[in-house]
Amino acid sequence: MDDILEVRSLTKRFQGLLAIDHVSFALQRNEILGLIGPNGAGKTTMISLISGTLEPSEGEVIFEGASIRRLPAYRRGRLGIARTFQVMRPFPDLTVLDNVAVGALFGATGHSQVLQDARERAQRWLEFVGLDRRAQQRAESLGGPDRKRLELAKALAMRPKVLLLDEVMAGLNHVEIEEVITVIKKVRDQGISILVIEHVMKAIQSLSDRLLVLRNGEKIAEGRPQEVLSNEQVIAAYLGTKRHE
Amino acid sequence: MKFSTKLALAGIGIALLASVPWWDSPVLVQFGINVLILATLAQSWNIIGGYTGYPSFGNSVFYGLGGYGVAIAMVQYGLPFPVGLAIGISLAVGFAILLGLPVLRLRGHYFAIATLGLAEVMTAIVSNLEIAGRNVGLILPLVKGDALFFELSLILLVVTTLAVMWISRSRFGFGLIAIRENEQAAAVMGVNTTLYKILAFALCSVFAAVAGGIHAYWITYLDPGSAFDVALNVKMIIMAVFGGPGTIFGPVLGAFVLSAISEILAAKVTSLASIFFGIVIVAAIVFMPRGFADLVRRFRQSGWRYFQENIRTYRV
Amino acid sequence: MQLLWQILVNGVLLGGLYALMALGLVLVWGVLNIVNLAHGALIMLGAYACYYLFTGLGWDPFAALPVAMVLLFCLGYVIQRYVLNLVIRGPMFNTLLITFGLEVVITYVAQIAFSADFRTVNPSYAGANFNFFGATVPLARLLAFGIALGLTFGLWLFLEHTRIGRAIRATAQNLIAARLYGVNPRHLYALTFGIGAALAGAAGTLYGVVSQINPYIGSGLTGKSFAIAIIGGLDKSIYVLVGGLFLGIVEAMTALYIGPTYTDVVSFGILVLVLIVRPTGLLGRTA
Repeated sequence: MDDILEVRSLTKRFQGLLAIDHVSFALQRNEILGLIGPNGAGKTTMISLISGTLEPSEGEVIFEGASIRRLPAYRRGRLGIARTFQVMRPFPDLTVLDNVAVGALFGATGHSQVLQDARERAQRWLEFVGLDRRAQQRAESLGGPDRKRLELAKALAMRPKVLLLDEVMAGLNHVEIEEVITVIKKVRDQGISILVIEHVMKAIQSLSDRLLVLRNGEKIAEGRPQEVLSNEQVIAAYLGTKRHE
Repeated sequence: MKFSTKLALAGIGIALLASVPWWDSPVLVQFGINVLILATLAQSWNIIGGYTGYPSFGNSVFYGLGGYGVAIAMVQYGLPFPVGLAIGISLAVGFAILLGLPVLRLRGHYFAIATLGLAEVMTAIVSNLEIAGRNVGLILPLVKGDALFFELSLILLVVTTLAVMWISRSRFGFGLIAIRENEQAAAVMGVNTTLYKILAFALCSVFAAVAGGIHAYWITYLDPGSAFDVALNVKMIIMAVFGGPGTIFGPVLGAFVLSAISEILAAKVTSLASIFFGIVIVAAIVFMPRGFADLVRRFRQSGWRYFQENIRTYRV
Repeated sequence: MQLLWQILVNGVLLGGLYALMALGLVLVWGVLNIVNLAHGALIMLGAYACYYLFTGLGWDPFAALPVAMVLLFCLGYVIQRYVLNLVIRGPMFNTLLITFGLEVVITYVAQIAFSADFRTVNPSYAGANFNFFGATVPLARLLAFGIALGLTFGLWLFLEHTRIGRAIRATAQNLIAARLYGVNPRHLYALTFGIGAALAGAAGTLYGVVSQINPYIGSGLTGKSFAIAIIGGLDKSIYVLVGGLFLGIVEAMTALYIGPTYTDVVSFGILVLVLIVRPTGLLGRTA
């Protein structure tokens, strides 16, 4: 069991609100770990804590055996941790190609320093996600599903070891979801370990090796999909939410 | 227009400009020096405002520090002009780094106000310094020959523009643009945003300082009001924005065009020039908020509707 | 000790006026998200309105004040309705630049219309003082202070307790909410800016009574107003009182203990410091 990423007793408070409550778990090398839970459970906060966008109030984040808690976001990106944003964040005025090129230029060390080289690599990643036709379009002009592809390509261009995906399937139809699942599995096959937040249940079930369930900032279950999804607490968490809707 | 064509045109333009002192019009030369210096300021602002997206309202500080560096070095210590320039540059860069660190943490308009505040503080501080001649100012040694200053200013503008050109095609420049477009995403993708912002700020301070130094030596008189002229800030911003921020030639074009029109009007009624300036600003923001460069690009597609679209997008 | 007390009194009197100066700026900033670089120019216009009513029609400046306010309100309304409304949903930077353009236009039109000479408004009671526990209080300044406070509270009452006032505050949150109040947003925006301009006009009138005026005082007053606004905090209009009094007292102290030429250093220095350390101001909450 080789853990590439470990989170120990991670806690985050926002002015009195406890968003993440002493959560511990590990992401193993080459696995796809699904992170699920009702709305407001703290899933995106967790990703932000790992990527460095947010600082933890307590606890540790360990990457490849070393603590990265004190490292700023850009250092973590260079070490090999990449993320997508749920509210997508393209560089609007740049072309799709250049958006991805930023990832190639600044990602994990060993990346290209030359613009031309970065653009070539970016082109290949665009082909990988299926966006190559739109390479010269301005990122602003992309529609929903294409934006998701762009987010993914930007993260991949960084040559990460760990990929944090935040709801890449929201708003996609069945066909598109299948495509995304295929792509994510291909990414894993390239040796990248993946943490996926998702609401689309069927997709996350077929995609994940293991599942992690958060509710109100606490971890309430962890393990193989079948076990987790038949766990009473997990079911209650989701049914409880449904009653409010 | 292809880039190589633009480059060729620029080359011709530079050669043409370099010959101006021999056109036998001292007034034109003086006007030219002012325009070249303004264009340099606009171009240097372009680095922090246009490419990095941090609209500084305080670049006049670097201009003033450059001017006072030269003035103090030459008047109080009898040092030669290049040394004065070096001192001015060091002061400006030092200021950019020391004060850039806290101030570049601020967002958008707060950053603008903070830099404006800094500009005012520096003006006030310098008017109290003995070594700077307090409010009365300093008088520098006279050097005859506007032609010399003209060529110096031209060289400075060319160098500044070359720097911007390098930025636009380098990894550093890409990082700056990423910061402008979406700073959080840039950070997460590996861009050291703090370092890059400070570097951009320091880089633009260098060119603004040299411009200030040349200007001070040329007019041979320096006082806090004129050295740290806060109105310069908005002039350089307007020129850069009008011409096209984040482009290579935009600020230069903006400076030339706006100065020319302003000068023509000043010949008629002096206040009229300023009023015109103000109206141009208002009209430009309403009808072409993304600058001339964007106008040229989109006009081909949309024609006159371009202006209408701009208003429709931004009105309530 | 006596001197310190006098300085304190001076500072407080000045502070009241300062608060009024910044009030219009904060209102427009908070509600419309417009950083109005022409604010000082509007103050300048208010001062000149008072000046011409005083010298031309012989009106007492404090009687001229409401008229100046009305005039500036109309100007502000027109500016917002037909110019600023066109760009208000764009990037904030644009409103910054466009208000600068307006500042230039206003300043130089004023220069042509009023000439560049320094003017003062000297009502008959300009020299009258009275004694407040050992400190000399000029009558004019005291009246100015009183009116400044009155208008500040008046605005607060207006925003809290009238339907239009609440609609204006709702607009700050949410354009759609404002529509629910049944008022046309374009009109509402213009009203808000108009009120801001009217307050600037009032400040200008009072300023003209206590200090010299010329067409160029605009930019300096804008800067000062920014300092006051930011030091106090932008969350509520009433915070300008804190900012104004704080700055008034600090400036008075600086003039005495360090030197009158250092007041700008201190004012803007504090502005920068506040922005760096606590951008929400002394009273504001996290932005």
